[in-house]
Amino acid sequence: MKPAEESKLKVLLIGMPNAGKSTLFNLITAGNRKVSNYSGITVDSAVGEFQQNENYLEKYELVDLPGIYNLNPSSQDEAVAIGSLVGLFNQENYHKVILLVDWHRLEASLSLCMAVNELIPGRVITIINKDDDNEVGPEVRKTIEKHLSNPVLSLSALKADAQLFEKTLRDFLHYEPRDEKELKGKISLTQEALQYFPHIDIEGAKENGFFNIVSGHDVLGAKINENLKEVRAVLEEVKRPDGNLSSRSEKIDKVILNPYLGGLIFVGIFYLIFSSIYTWAAPLMDFTEGLVLSFGELFAPILPEGALKSLVIDGIIGGVGGVVVFLPQIMILFFLLSLLEQSGYISRAAVITDRLMSIFGLGGKAFLPYMSGFACAIPGIMAARTIPNQRERLATIMTLPLITCSARLPVYILLIGTFIPSKTILGIFNSQALAFFFLYFLGSIFALVMAKLLRLTFFKGKTSSFIIDLPHYQGPSLKIAMRQSWSKGKSFLKKAGTIILGLSILIWFLSSYPKIDEEKLTGLPKQQRTALILENSALGTMGKVIEPVIKPLGMNWKIGVGLLISFGARELFVSALGTIYALGDVDETSSTLKERLLSEVDPKTGSPILDLATVWAILIFFVFSLQCTSTIAVIKKETNSWKIAAASFFYMLGLAYGMSLITYNIVRWL
Amino acid sequence: MGLNEANIGQEVVFERIEQNTELELKLSSLGLLPGDQLIVTGKAPFKGPISVKHGNQTFFAIRFTEAKSILVSSRGLS
Repeated sequence: MKPAEESKLKVLLIGMPNAGKSTLFNLITAGNRKVSNYSGITVDSAVGEFQQNENYLEKYELVDLPGIYNLNPSSQDEAVAIGSLVGLFNQENYHKVILLVDWHRLEASLSLCMAVNELIPGRVITIINKDDDNEVGPEVRKTIEKHLSNPVLSLSALKADAQLFEKTLRDFLHYEPRDEKELKGKISLTQEALQYFPHIDIEGAKENGFFNIVSGHDVLGAKINENLKEVRAVLEEVKRPDGNLSSRSEKIDKVILNPYLGGLIFVGIFYLIFSSIYTWAAPLMDFTEGLVLSFGELFAPILPEGALKSLVIDGIIGGVGGVVVFLPQIMILFFLLSLLEQSGYISRAAVITDRLMSIFGLGGKAFLPYMSGFACAIPGIMAARTIPNQRERLATIMTLPLITCSARLPVYILLIGTFIPSKTILGIFNSQALAFFFLYFLGSIFALVMAKLLRLTFFKGKTSSFIIDLPHYQGPSLKIAMRQSWSKGKSFLKKAGTIILGLSILIWFLSSYPKIDEEKLTGLPKQQRTALILENSALGTMGKVIEPVIKPLGMNWKIGVGLLISFGARELFVSALGTIYALGDVDETSSTLKERLLSEVDPKTGSPILDLATVWAILIFFVFSLQCTSTIAVIKKETNSWKIAAASFFYMLGLAYGMSLITYNIVRWL
Repeated sequence: MGLNEANIGQEVVFERIEQNTELELKLSSLGLLPGDQLIVTGKAPFKGPISVKHGNQTFFAIRFTEAKSILVSSRGLS
């Protein structure tokens, strides 16, 4: 550990799910940590420095921990938070604990406060998260403070002034009524709760006096009930939240959770999200495409003819530029998902889908990880820690990469926008947006079908219990959504500027060298010459090797090479095609990848090389295939098994090939 | 009766949990004590989860089969 880090005092942030921990974390650290309002999003602890550390002598850092309801974990993420309190996860030397309490769930939260206070007396600061300033008066805070005998603050995590709040908080972090730093109590938990502490030495923890194993849940339940009764008695004197917010939520739920309308609204919301990514992004994408093009036009005249010019124009601008144009879609996706998450709808969606998911051997709890999978499989796989049942969790992890993640977006949009004719269907639906939605739908359905197969074979067993608390609906903050979208956009650009840039250069080299004998080219028309150069390159040779495998899918060697390269990361498919087609482009006028793909015709027949059947075959391949090394690594990490990671990769590859083959033949026949 | 038998909009009083002790722990942690008022706010079709308003402030949902072991009485009868 660096000395600079050692001098920082650690403050742990705990509380019930949906209490607003991540919002508070963002307020204090100005971090872009994901904020949402369903249980399970904070699956791993995040650390952030206090924003104004440089202005103060004491340096603090805040550790955001997963939400807990009590001190008896019922899933792995809860165990992370509870274990941290007793120093099981290298947080031994933490300074204080901030326990964030939702004003609307005061009773249950304060009973949790009491339990934590017993465990680590003198180290807890309670913060009440409220909606506006009028809600929690000083007398309320005093009453609670007296009962808990620890400091109580209040704020609105969404609206508070960060600087002012940090100043107040610092006063309290400084304040030390007793100088006890050691653990006072033991965590009482059941024998079965121990299974949720992965990678720790349970026996050692028991010997060190961290745990006290009780005979059954009733012992723990009785204690919580006792706390709860005590809290209620104290709160009798206190002004409670008015029922406005909850009666508003009740009214909204009448529609959203309506047995008939609920499902329709659910499909409608997701259709709207995915089709808006498609339609809203069109003008923005034209703009970014234009930007990339003019970038090329800017450099083309300056650079001398030769290898360097080809590297910059074909390799870098063709490759990286091809991917960067999808920035608007990525940002819109994350913007909309953030709005949805903040609104409180996601927990309702879990309720609506629970029955359907249970047919496939999963529960509503699996909906939350799946939902994250639309952004990226990696946080989704990590979010699967919230699923109590291990077999159900494994089935979720192994099928989650089938959910369409944002890395597939560039491929889908490029191919659909280029090859699928835009028509209006049934008066309101756009054919391209429908095709787009269909791919999302197909991935999700197959994730469920595969989960069912896994649950019938390798991971048999009962599904976990399903109780989920439903937060109040709240107007989502545009600021947070924009921040979230920008932060994801930035990391997308960073990826484009690093990994994709590096690989684009590599792709350019592989597709430019070795050079073919000049003699062989003399006398040939320009078009054949470029084609020959490309085919003779290392990449061309590779492509020819795999051509027999992909020929049944209607793909040529260029697509094959794109597919091969995309196993590193899906976006690379677009950048590989960008480079290959830029090199193969015969006329010198600048054009987009779209135009180049369309203008490629078979010299013998004169018809486009990429027909609709091939395009669908590629799309379907991308729906099913696990082309992402990071995801494979995370599966290994989360399941602690190479076997599961390898099995996931190969079953998805088989599925991709098979489905692609079927699709190719069906579309051709049509 | 079980919570699953209550109709949408019906006010009931939570009595006790039948058998399932883990469920009891979970409900206590959500702040639910015997004698508390519950209102069923939604029932998903095909015996899907039942959504409930607890007291005047909080909402939760529970699977149909688990709702069976939450014993409640109709308001006024208990």
